[in-house]
Amino acid sequence: MEYVNPEGLRLDGRRPMEMRQLHAEIGVVSKADGSAVFEMGNTKVIAAVYGPREVQNRSRQMNDQALVRCEYNMANFSTGDRMRKPKGDRRSTEISLVIRQTMEACILTHLMPRSQIDIFVQVLQADGGTRSACINAATLALADAGIPMRDLVTSCSAGFLNGTPLLDLNYVEDSAGGPDVTVGILPKLDKVTLLQMDAKLAMDTFENVTQLATEGCKAVATDIREILLEHTKQLEFRRGL
Amino acid sequence: MGTSTNGKVNDFSSDMEVDAFRRLFPLRFHERHLAESIRPDGRPLGKARDTTLVLGAVASANGSALAKIGCTTMLAAIKMEVMAPTVEAPDEGCIAIEFHMPPICSPLIRPGRPAEIAPVISKQLSDTILRQEIICHYLELSLVSGKAAWMAYLDIYCLDADGALFDAALLSAVAAFSHLQVPVVSLNDDGRIVLISEDNIAAMKEKEPVNKEKRKLKLDSVPFSLTCVLHKNHILADPTSEEESIMETFLTVVLDSSSFQLVSLNKPGGPGLAHTSAIQECVELAKLRVKEVQKIMNEATSDMEQD
Repeated sequence: MEYVNPEGLRLDGRRPMEMRQLHAEIGVVSKADGSAVFEMGNTKVIAAVYGPREVQNRSRQMNDQALVRCEYNMANFSTGDRMRKPKGDRRSTEISLVIRQTMEACILTHLMPRSQIDIFVQVLQADGGTRSACINAATLALADAGIPMRDLVTSCSAGFLNGTPLLDLNYVEDSAGGPDVTVGILPKLDKVTLLQMDAKLAMDTFENVTQLATEGCKAVATDIREILLEHTKQLEFRRGL
Repeated sequence: MGTSTNGKVNDFSSDMEVDAFRRLFPLRFHERHLAESIRPDGRPLGKARDTTLVLGAVASANGSALAKIGCTTMLAAIKMEVMAPTVEAPDEGCIAIEFHMPPICSPLIRPGRPAEIAPVISKQLSDTILRQEIICHYLELSLVSGKAAWMAYLDIYCLDADGALFDAALLSAVAAFSHLQVPVVSLNDDGRIVLISEDNIAAMKEKEPVNKEKRKLKLDSVPFSLTCVLHKNHILADPTSEEESIMETFLTVVLDSSSFQLVSLNKPGGPGLAHTSAIQECVELAKLRVKEVQKIMNEATSDMEQD
């Protein structure tokens, strides 16, 4: 099947190096300390952060740093065919672990000892790149909750089909069987915190694709910064500052 | 508890900040407001919060709706699948309802331990919607008698739990049903039902579609509900989660929107006792609320059709 037609357009009309449309909203869940909705094209994800709060399971309390917990859920109707068991299956557990470790690396946990930070992510619509959308949504939610972090964490995926590196794969391109590289970086510090790839890829192509994904992450970071600034301006306005 | 010292020197309201008083003495805080016939968010006792309804929130589902009552947010989506009907009822389809409360909706929910109230609301919804085929007849869901029928999966997700969960869930479920469009299918050569996608018009001409076009289900009666909280002599309509946790006596009234007849009445115990006059007052409040909600639903439907 042709994923990039001879004119250089992909199935949804994008260019190979073009990302999907991003859209985000902060403060959507009133009960949460911080929350955000993040959309990358048709992938829509909602993240809520509760914390720092008292550790619920005393035996897991750490005296020198905060405990970070994460849970990833997909809604039954998020994928094309209705999912039978969206929670507790291996993929959800793996992604929960990945998101937790990614965010834990950038939260300044030593500032909040003996406390717990919960990050809950719910996928409402899945169209490829849910992992990246979840990490971006979690970053916004943590920022909304005012939790001290080293830097934002942004994430983006890239692949390689029909001999071209493609940025930000959607579901059809993802299931094509080609390689799928997900990268998560701390944009200001220019450090990589997450790098996952499946399927085979030659070394030099891998470098190209990873470079492309990293640039995608930096583009997401610019957008996220704008969104946070806009949100802060609105808060200032509402407080009459 | 607080009535004897209401407004007397013994309460600390003058000494401490309002927020602290609200956290430490929640019942007295609310009773001070009830004495003036008003609630902490400024509503009169019988008024519900602002309600918004958006149809078609989930693009990939056959029917969906997002309902918001105040801060309580519910997202309902319906997906249709073809299945073989049972031998006892070869002409009927089936509807399955699931209500989920993911941990994002409330700080009290721990992952791994589902909320106590989730299965209760799930059962209440099933009883209200499925019993006696209130929403639609199962016969409408049949495709080929004895061989194929529709199975509609309704999933309701609570995205923010701030009181009156059943009201918001029922509203989103009803709205999702009203937005539902049954997809077009046709009978394949091997006798299996195949979904025809919209762009496959050529294929549509070859195979005879079993149902001619995307159609909406005919809704029999549309139920809307109102939850009230009873406290001493006061009746508070549409409680927030704070009010629900302090005054634990609920009364849920479900009325049919066209004939205003009672569909269901539920008062599951609780420390407050109610005279029949209180119950009748609740039903009256529910009638007013049903009129409001019907208007909101009509507006949402006409907004959808305009798009």
